[in-house]
Amino acid sequence: MLKRVTRLVPRACQLDPGHFLHGGPQAPQSLAARLDDQVPDENPRAGSHPSEDDPAGAGEQREGRHYRIPLQDLPTVFPHGLPRRFSLQVRTFNEACLMVRRPALELLRHLDDTNFAHPAVRYVLYGEKGTGKTLSLCHVVHFCAKRDWLIVHVPDAHLWVKSSRGLLRSAYSRRRFDQPVEAANWLKSFKTANERFLSQIKIQETYMWNKRESTEKGRPLGEVVEQGLTRVKNATDAVGIVLKELKSQSCSGAFRLLVAVDGVNALWGRTTLKREDKSLMAPEELALVHSLRKMVRNDWHGGAVVLALSQTGSLFTPRMACLPQELLGKEGFDALDPFVPILVSNYSPEEFESCIQYYLENSWLQHEKAHTEEGKKELLFLSDANPGQLERLCAYL
Amino acid sequence: MAAAALSAWLTLQPGTRTLRAFCTSVSPATRSAIPSPRTADRRPRYERPLRRKALPPRTEKMTLDQDWPSVYPVAAPFKPSAVPLPIRMGYPIKRGVPMAKEGNLELLKIPNFLHLTPVAIKKHCEALKDFCTEWPAALDSDEKCEKHFPIEVDTTDYVSAGPSIRNPKARVVTLRVKLSSLNLDDHAKKKLIKLVGERYCKTTDVLTIKTDRCPLKRQNYDYALYLLTVLYHESWKTEEWEKDKTEADMEEYVWNNSSSEKNILETLLQMKAAEKNLEVNKEELLATKEVEEYKKSVVSLKNEGDNENTLSQYKESVKKLLNLM
Repeated sequence: MLKRVTRLVPRACQLDPGHFLHGGPQAPQSLAARLDDQVPDENPRAGSHPSEDDPAGAGEQREGRHYRIPLQDLPTVFPHGLPRRFSLQVRTFNEACLMVRRPALELLRHLDDTNFAHPAVRYVLYGEKGTGKTLSLCHVVHFCAKRDWLIVHVPDAHLWVKSSRGLLRSAYSRRRFDQPVEAANWLKSFKTANERFLSQIKIQETYMWNKRESTEKGRPLGEVVEQGLTRVKNATDAVGIVLKELKSQSCSGAFRLLVAVDGVNALWGRTTLKREDKSLMAPEELALVHSLRKMVRNDWHGGAVVLALSQTGSLFTPRMACLPQELLGKEGFDALDPFVPILVSNYSPEEFESCIQYYLENSWLQHEKAHTEEGKKELLFLSDANPGQLERLCAYL
Repeated sequence: MAAAALSAWLTLQPGTRTLRAFCTSVSPATRSAIPSPRTADRRPRYERPLRRKALPPRTEKMTLDQDWPSVYPVAAPFKPSAVPLPIRMGYPIKRGVPMAKEGNLELLKIPNFLHLTPVAIKKHCEALKDFCTEWPAALDSDEKCEKHFPIEVDTTDYVSAGPSIRNPKARVVTLRVKLSSLNLDDHAKKKLIKLVGERYCKTTDVLTIKTDRCPLKRQNYDYALYLLTVLYHESWKTEEWEKDKTEADMEEYVWNNSSSEKNILETLLQMKAAEKNLEVNKEELLATKEVEEYKKSVVSLKNEGDNENTLSQYKESVKKLLNLM
């Protein structure tokens, strides 16, 4: 393994930067034997590993294949979005490859056919733990980013309802609480992801931050974001303003808006944050949660809302809960109704095969029995074709 | 020296089985301390009462076609010599089996029904037939019994040999009735179910009233009937405070005036507005086939909970409604 690494490094230096920008098949990733594989983009390799970068694709025949996200896209499209284990994998393999799976394809098809005059349709990804809801969400986000939509991506809404240290009374509304740290973090990522839109969109109202500072009508949205980042106390209000403006302006058709929230059941669950008198807070008392709830309603048009439920990280829910009503509760269901529920299930046999092939090609599976039939059957049995479980198992091999 | 000490220790232990090899090395001091049975009774052998040899157990003389109810006519403790079955009971120690029936306390402790074999019960029934009346011929099916006699009353009488014929357990009266045989409308049925609480079983639709608060059985029976009457009449009345029934009190999901209905209406209105179609009114929108399907799927989702079926139904109806197909 060490020998191969030392040989890969000099090869990377020899390739000129132009190669990376085209996103062509990146030779350092394949083994030394495949160095003459300079196939063009549209020609998929047999097996699991086509080197295509277009997230949409030809449809069902791409199901089970991996597609690669160019590495330079990652910091702009997913400044904070990728799940931890996947980003570790990206760093290890030096490439970000997502498997194209049926739920994501279905979603992409719907998104392609969206009627932007109709109210935003809400799609909810649900499924058991480890089946790939977050990564399907990321796939959709990348697709929309490639198509130049404006992305509002909240990677984990659960983080906003737990263990937040700086809780302040909101200046805007006495009943609600601000979370400056989380809001500032989110604003930073939002800025990196949607840099080009921030100067194009102009706000439609004047906002007074305090007696001396205000943002006039007609200024670009970037100024509101800057204000939130520099004055952290106003960060939560800045987030609220950004969301409000985006919602009202997406109807005009200047841009398409995608709202992607992971762990959306946190918005209607319970929190572990305490008020000054040590009583637990309800989620509606948090200003961030309040603005996000308004965002996922379908009273705007010109975009779509893709949500993913998540039990990991959710508070006070049983571990086996994975169905929409169990996780969202009555309130959440009534708020999101009508939505399109999309089930994300474990790997089908072809997808499992494809995943194992991918790991083998990247020499991730070092065990001698890994490529034999019994080895694969054993992995299938141990992981029950659950993607998360399989990934964890293969990490040991 | 070590052997002598070991043997002394072994003999001093009350429950251990001493090996024969060590018996010979028992010291004279220990032997005289333990009284042997031979020295207790000093009468000469011919004057002592003769001890009978143990006879073979009765089971060996039992034939296969014997009359078992005469061996165990009443409830009696388990007699290993009278029961010809090779029963073992007990927890087996390592490399052992459960203990045999001779001298087995476990078999004595548990209740046995050796006096109630099918043959014995047949005999009891034959004897009781003289005291019974004929079953009415017209009531030959369960449905007819339910139709004509919807209320079932269970009482128990106790007979025992003792100084008194009274038994306090005999005053318990259980009254069972199916709610489908009562004349109740929707509101009355829901109110009745809320009033009785635990006494109603949803799967069998049976209301069970068990009374034992009066000292006599007759009084308890009257009280049970009185309770049924009161419940029936009260559930038909509607009180003023019943208007305050909130959504949380509802037993099942009701679509009308629910938030789901409002949501879908808003969505549809917005869609129509986008298509510049402003002349539709609410009733028309709600009466379309897609909305009906959606309503059914939401009701089933809320009432039955999440499962594959309901969720896929809901998904299809939403897709049709929002024109996503």
